[in-house]
Amino acid sequence: MLEIVALIVLGLFAGAIAASLGLGGGIIFVPALVVLFGFDQHIAQGTSLAVIFPTAIVATVAHTRRGNVRWPLAIPIGIAGIVGAVLGAQVALRLDPDLLRRMFGIFLLLLAARMGWRAWRINDRPSAEPEPS
Amino acid sequence: MNTALIKALALGVIAGTVAGLFGVGGGVIVVPGLVLWLAISQREASGTSTATIVASSAAAMIAFGIGGNVDWGAAGLILIGSVVGAWGGAWIAERVNERALAITFAFVLAVAGVRMVI
Repeated sequence: MLEIVALIVLGLFAGAIAASLGLGGGIIFVPALVVLFGFDQHIAQGTSLAVIFPTAIVATVAHTRRGNVRWPLAIPIGIAGIVGAVLGAQVALRLDPDLLRRMFGIFLLLLAARMGWRAWRINDRPSAEPEPS
Repeated sequence: MNTALIKALALGVIAGTVAGLFGVGGGVIVVPGLVLWLAISQREASGTSTATIVASSAAAMIAFGIGGNVDWGAAGLILIGSVVGAWGGAWIAERVNERALAITFAFVLAVAGVRMVI
């Protein structure tokens, strides 16, 4: 019961952060499931993808209505993305979960550094145009 | 093939590989790729990226699912929370300093990153 509530709360936080900072959920779901819920790295990643997929469909419908989707680019990126995703998933599933977890940790540290540096820099040059995303 | 198409295909393969490898959407690669490499606006990059994530997340989800590496019950619960959270997030975004939020979140990610590396 406690875990059910905790998972819903995780969704609440991730959804709120995604909507306010424009970030995808995966970089929140995977570390939260591993660090806070003790999930195996592979299951955390698979579960993260199962949340991202329906969320992306809903978001795409909303973006399409506002005319924000450039389909001539989205289609080739999406098709090539399927190839890459299958490849990446096969590699991930063959890796030892502990090694994969460490690789993910390094990926997170790089993202955190980029995000922190960018947010810091905006303040250093208040007159400059904000960096896109 | 024109240059934009080649760039789009290359971007898709790179983003898809990261998405499959780490179980994320890949927007973290596609959005800056579209803005910096294909010179489209931030707004269109977000929308276009989201559409590509439908394809890459589906492919990766199926690959993980076949191996029995998806906890569908947990995914459903997180999804319920995130629908409500997305409404709340839009409300928060209008009231909180985005820079402070970004720095705080970057710090949380860094702590999680360290925990996962150790």
